[in-house]
Amino acid sequence: MKSYDLLVLANRNLWRRKGRTILTVLGVIIGTTAIVVMLSLGIGLVESQKKQMEQWGSLNMIRVHQAYSYPGEPEENKQRKLTDEAIEEIKAIEGVLAVSPAYEVGGEAKLGRKTGYLQLIGIDAATMELMDFNVEHGRILNENDQFNVVAGCRVIDNFHDPKQQPGREMEWEQGDPLELLDKRVAVTLMNQRQQKRIYSLNVVGILSDKSMEYAWSVFAPIKEIKKMRDFTMQGMGGNHPVPPGKEVGLPQLPRDMPGQEDDQYSFALVRTQDVSYAKYISQELRDRGFNASSMADNLEGIENVARQMQAVLGGIGAITLLVAAIGITNTMVMSIYERTREIAIMKVVGASFADIRTLFLAESSLIGLMGGMLGIGLSYFLSYLLNKYVGAMMFSRMDPENMFQISLIPPWLVLFALVFSMGIGLIAGLYPANRAIKLDPIDAMRNS
Amino acid sequence: MPILELRNVVKKYRVGKEIVTALDGVNLAVEAGEFVAILGTSGSGKTTLLNVAAGLEKPTRGEVVFRNVTLNKLKEWQKVAFRRKQMGFIFQSYNLIPSLTAQENVALPLIFDNVPVQERTKRAVAVLTHMGLKDRRKHKPTEMSGGQQQRVAIARAIVHQPRIIFADELTGNLDSHTTHDIMCSLQTTVKKLGQTLLMVTHDRDVANYADRIIFMVDGKIVSEELGGK
Ligand SMILES: Nc1ncnc2c1ncn2[C@@H]1O[C@H](COP(=O)(O)OP(=O)(O)OP(=O)(O)O)[C@@H](O)[C@H]1O
Ligand SMILES: [Mg+2]
Repeated sequence: MKSYDLLVLANRNLWRRKGRTILTVLGVIIGTTAIVVMLSLGIGLVESQKKQMEQWGSLNMIRVHQAYSYPGEPEENKQRKLTDEAIEEIKAIEGVLAVSPAYEVGGEAKLGRKTGYLQLIGIDAATMELMDFNVEHGRILNENDQFNVVAGCRVIDNFHDPKQQPGREMEWEQGDPLELLDKRVAVTLMNQRQQKRIYSLNVVGILSDKSMEYAWSVFAPIKEIKKMRDFTMQGMGGNHPVPPGKEVGLPQLPRDMPGQEDDQYSFALVRTQDVSYAKYISQELRDRGFNASSMADNLEGIENVARQMQAVLGGIGAITLLVAAIGITNTMVMSIYERTREIAIMKVVGASFADIRTLFLAESSLIGLMGGMLGIGLSYFLSYLLNKYVGAMMFSRMDPENMFQISLIPPWLVLFALVFSMGIGLIAGLYPANRAIKLDPIDAMRNS
Repeated sequence: MPILELRNVVKKYRVGKEIVTALDGVNLAVEAGEFVAILGTSGSGKTTLLNVAAGLEKPTRGEVVFRNVTLNKLKEWQKVAFRRKQMGFIFQSYNLIPSLTAQENVALPLIFDNVPVQERTKRAVAVLTHMGLKDRRKHKPTEMSGGQQQRVAIARAIVHQPRIIFADELTGNLDSHTTHDIMCSLQTTVKKLGQTLLMVTHDRDVANYADRIIFMVDGKIVSEELGGK
């Protein structure tokens, strides 16, 4: 029998008993909807967690911190230092798109009449774009910049006017980030010998508020920050020659004290190809002795929780679909009882076992498929309602752009639901189809 | 060389502890193009003979040979191929599928033979026209009279141009006038196409349309004579 004829015949047979077919399909609709909606909640959970985490740092970024050493720590436990060789080594790892070493210095800063404390981070300007630095106003840094900087969107909140009433200072007000743009900020650094140096920095760009991990820092070309840091380190250890006579009265830090070490970078930013690489590379770096961490490290835990949740919810849905499958079997068995004579006739006029079997399997699969398709439609509708009402209630404070969807139906779930419901129909039809095959045409015709 | 041959065919049924002998050593040879009627009283084993001859039932003993092939030794799927290509069936109770129109019922054997839809329709309409039912071809069985339904059934039995047609009491439910009409058109059709027809009946008048009449009593062939018309 040709498959087209088969489908036409199967479809016709189904609609001979409209009421019964509709009720059976309804069972599958409910089953499919239960599975799809339940799974969509789990998926929505993972995705909204990811989004939330991404606000605090891109999921494909890894931060490698400098090594801290503790006195008496055995050599093999020591963390690897962030030297130039280390940076090159990290760059060579597969899946790493870019690495930027970074220096950090902090100092008092002046912006017009306002004063504040600035956290300065020197990074490789060439890699900024890859590191998810998004400027909202002005421009990003380039390799030719020297004392130009890019400020995080909340840096302005660090400044306040000392002449204002102390009482009013306590009120936490959000400043306008644009106040910084194209302004000069004077940063005063002090080294261990109480020497002062003032740097004048020009703000050329303000970062967007998408990446909150960069919000409170100012980014500058690494060369300048290294010079500043070298200045602040003067007088700290034995590494920097100190002019005789000047060291009197200054406390000498013992070299084995925990804390910064001056012959390495403060930290390094690593950009990986995607989230899955980030998870893996972050672990790899720790295995190699680096002090690495990433937002993606937390992802596994969340995904595990979501998977367990999905297993439970999906299980509930699966039971509903199982009941629907029994409904299909029941309908098909009844249909075969009613159609014994017809099956007998088909056998006598030349239908093979395969023809009979595929006809009944096609009918039961069609029930499954129709239920699956309508179920997906219903799932989309329910998902929309869930997001609109329940989701909005849960995340009412979020701006609409970052609205989290508590129920998410990705294309693969649609495909899965279709294949699954049709498969259920097929399996549910096996037993009835087998009965139809076994039916003896002579018996069937004699009895009626 | 007969197209169909039954050799010493015995068919027994077990009913509870009892054993019923429906066919008791039947020998029969049907020549190609021959119209043979099997005449007998109710319960004499006519239907059983027909079913065994068509391969729908297996004989308890003996052989059924159709065109040099021993039917009772074939697998079910091999017999299906014979039914599909070379055999046609007509029953007393028409046995049309109620959900299909006359035309679709007639085309049914062609569906299983993978005949394309246009070709199917063309052939079904042609056969229905031949049976005088052209304007009824879109009707469902329940919308037709018994005689019309039986004509549809005949059309279905001949649409794939089988070599042999098995008919069981095909006029059992019809009045004598309709019986005559149907028997005439069936007779002319099979003669024109050179088809073999094995027909079972308990009606002497109907049997008279045949070339040869076989008399059955209690599962045995007792005598035969040449047809009267
Ligand atoms: N499946 C069966 N199981 C048991 N006995 C059967 C079966 N089929 C036929 N018989 C018996 O075999 C005998 C012959 O039956 P068959 O149907 O061939 O008679 P028939 O000549 O066709 O009768 P009728 O003219 O009434 O149709 C009867 O005694 C019947 O009871
Ligand atoms: Mg009979």
